[in-house]
Amino acid sequence: MTNTAVVQPKMALPAVPGFEFDEKADLEQSPAWFLDGTHSVPPWTPLFGWFWINFCRHGMQYGAEKLSLPTVKGWDWRFKNGGGYLTVMLVKSEEEQRQREERFRVAIRPFIEDYDGLWRSQLDEILALYEDLKQLDLDKATNIELLDNFEQTINVCRRMWEVHMYMMYGTYTGYILFENMCRELMGIDDTHPLFHKLIAGFDNKVLQVDKRIWEFSQKAAQLGLADVILHSEPADIAAKIEAAPNGSGFMTAFREFLNEDGWRMQRMSEMNMPTWIEDPAPPLTNLKQFLVKGGGFNLEEEREKISKEREAAEKEVFAKIAPEQKGWFTTVLRLAQKSGVFSEEHDHYLDLYTHAMMRRSALGIGRRLVSAGAIDVLEDIFFIIPEEIRKAAINPDHFKLQPIVVARRAEWQEWCKTPNPPVILREGFDMDQAMAMLVKSNDPIALKVVVGSMPIVRAELNADLHGTCGSPGVVEGLARVILSEDQLADVQPGEILVAATTSPSWTPVFSFIKGVVMDRGASLSHAAIVGREYGIPVLMNVFVGTQKIRTGQRIRVDANMGALYILDK
Amino acid sequence: MAKKWIYALEELGQEHINLVGRKCANLGEMTKLGMRVPPGFAISVDGFENYMQVTGLGKRIETYFASLGEDLKKSVQKQMDASRAAKDMIAKTPLPASIVDEIVSNYEALCARCGEPDLPVAVRSSGSVSMPGQMETYLHVRGSAEVTRRVLEVWESTFNTRAIAFRLEKGMPVDKAPIGVAVIRMVNAKSAGVLLTVIPTTGDTDRVVIEGNWGLGESVVAGEINPDSFTVNKASMSIEKKVNKKTRCVVSTANGTVKADVPFHLQDMPCLEDEEIRELVRIALGVEKHFGMPQDMEWVVDQDLSFPENVIWVQARPAKFTAQRKEAEADYIVDQMARLFRR
Repeated sequence: MTNTAVVQPKMALPAVPGFEFDEKADLEQSPAWFLDGTHSVPPWTPLFGWFWINFCRHGMQYGAEKLSLPTVKGWDWRFKNGGGYLTVMLVKSEEEQRQREERFRVAIRPFIEDYDGLWRSQLDEILALYEDLKQLDLDKATNIELLDNFEQTINVCRRMWEVHMYMMYGTYTGYILFENMCRELMGIDDTHPLFHKLIAGFDNKVLQVDKRIWEFSQKAAQLGLADVILHSEPADIAAKIEAAPNGSGFMTAFREFLNEDGWRMQRMSEMNMPTWIEDPAPPLTNLKQFLVKGGGFNLEEEREKISKEREAAEKEVFAKIAPEQKGWFTTVLRLAQKSGVFSEEHDHYLDLYTHAMMRRSALGIGRRLVSAGAIDVLEDIFFIIPEEIRKAAINPDHFKLQPIVVARRAEWQEWCKTPNPPVILREGFDMDQAMAMLVKSNDPIALKVVVGSMPIVRAELNADLHGTCGSPGVVEGLARVILSEDQLADVQPGEILVAATTSPSWTPVFSFIKGVVMDRGASLSHAAIVGREYGIPVLMNVFVGTQKIRTGQRIRVDANMGALYILDK
Repeated sequence: MAKKWIYALEELGQEHINLVGRKCANLGEMTKLGMRVPPGFAISVDGFENYMQVTGLGKRIETYFASLGEDLKKSVQKQMDASRAAKDMIAKTPLPASIVDEIVSNYEALCARCGEPDLPVAVRSSGSVSMPGQMETYLHVRGSAEVTRRVLEVWESTFNTRAIAFRLEKGMPVDKAPIGVAVIRMVNAKSAGVLLTVIPTTGDTDRVVIEGNWGLGESVVAGEINPDSFTVNKASMSIEKKVNKKTRCVVSTANGTVKADVPFHLQDMPCLEDEEIRELVRIALGVEKHFGMPQDMEWVVDQDLSFPENVIWVQARPAKFTAQRKEAEADYIVDQMARLFRR
């Protein structure tokens, strides 16, 4: 007889209770469920999946409802083998659409009248919530306080997604309106180089962080630390600097910077990688890459040029607009320009920061569970879900969660081996119909993030691969295929990055690469926005770039024409 | 001629535009809102109509225009000829005594009310539709004979060439046009200017802004000089003054308005006293409340009258300001956004 309850694997809950994909019921509800390839490939750990499915889902329905979007009520989400599957929730009757439109007209106004004030107030609210969470000293806190902090984190995550999706739906509505106006007035859409010129040349928080790292690289050179850094492997840079003369002061300053802006992980939509605060190797690697490249901070050099090009583009466009239309056209143009800034900044302040908070709080409890023997290693915490954390958090010595961890980890390892299908369709329903459903929803996020634009194949170009233009330009160089975050440190200055998708944590490499090729992406994708700010070409929706291109191959990217050539096959 | 055709301004309101024309109706409406306007009377459109009927002039002019036929539309020269002919007919047809008596007795009553014989007045046209070419205004008109002469000249102005051309173009009857006349005491402006119950550049409706200069308001309205600016908080009534150097102003003389130098000792002095500012704001807020929207108003402070009788209004209309234009823009953008979801 023992006082410790052993939780049997067969008793273990599904990772996301209530939202596990149920083929029969869910296909009855909606004929098409799309895999969120941008965020849930590779598969999520159970704890992260629990947060995402519960609250991204909630946030989208909250945002769509708050804005009363006339044709769509947000997305429903399910969890399947570590993948997030989504479907749009259409407004069913025309009568209801009319009623929703009436409310929409009122609800959307703050985005038009005072966008900056709106975003600032939402942001201030969220940032204050983070500060509250950080108040707790995790090492000194009682178990009750740790659990309380975790519950608070759940609420912060929920609120973050509300703000996230309310802002995103409103912002992208403005962006799509602008694209529409450009199509009507000038016959161009958001894959056209002129369009990109109109919306580029703006600073944002993510780029400011890049610049800070560059500034640290300059400081390191001044302090005579360049050699040490250049001769260290990523994992050793921090220790080598600390040991060098002048190094410890430098690292103190660097850690101070990280305490401010380092609340992020190399993979945006996960919590099982260390934050920059826990492990400064990724930003130090970026710093090292700046030293390898040498020269100034090219973002700043580019900025002036890009801003000038934008002003010229604005002039060109305004010449085509009747004087009485300039007022509202300008307002919509500014909204579209803010979309890019929002896209980048929300990743930094919302997703990345909240996920770092989730990790911080979970690890706080995880350490207690480890020392009480309820789990074996700290990372096991990502394989149990809040229902179980609540069960064991106050008196961890009474619980053995190892069987759950073992079962879930085994499941997760299976998920990682077999890719999830990109879409799950009801029988008799095909991909074209599924896409048509998305288009019919008029859902601004679905249109700009999921669907994107399909590449136009121009036979006369004789290209090897086709894509859409995310940032204009033509470039030739060696390809660097990156399949996961850990390979980022391999990127060499002057290479062309080839990836399935990119995350905001990757921005520092944009400052020394020549171009980007992405399997997926739309003009508000991270790579497109950052590419435009750095003035490097980005080719998106190539679909098979990471399969067809090998690292070291010479490639030519013509983003303007949507064409890619593999020069040494 | 039993029907009444002269009214005191206090008897009139917005609903009388067709009776006395827009200018007179507005002045009447302003008195209803507690705004002091210069004392005076309105001659309704029936006054002109009476003159035309009693003298038989209406018929003759009608016959004359009928004889010109369609050709009139095509030729500016013919329109100028018609204008001259019609005016000539009017000039040769003196006002009947009954009409002269009515105008003179009202003018004399006004003189008595203001305590000044041969009171200088302004005689202004007051059309019910705004019509180019018939905006005759005569300032500093003194004495019964002068006043009746100017009234007739305002009536005559309906046959100015531009007025004829306008009626032809709009398909209105060319041989007659309703016109009212305002006869109001000349204001002897110490200072004048504009008042807005909203800050026009920002749409801030918590404050009132007053701009003014010495003399008539024209110098402020035209934006030629750097006027004084007084910003008043609606809730606390606190006044923020920006007194500028005012070197030039516009003054009224018997020969019309002329530009003049501001006497040196007045150049750096505020053109309004605090009590005048507060009185302006008090009335303006009442008007704003009545109409439920920010107002753009024109004021004059009379130098012959004592406070508060000296605070006089000449105009009130809804204010145009940035936020309102923004609102219209926002409406349009909202429409376009709603359209995105109807695809």
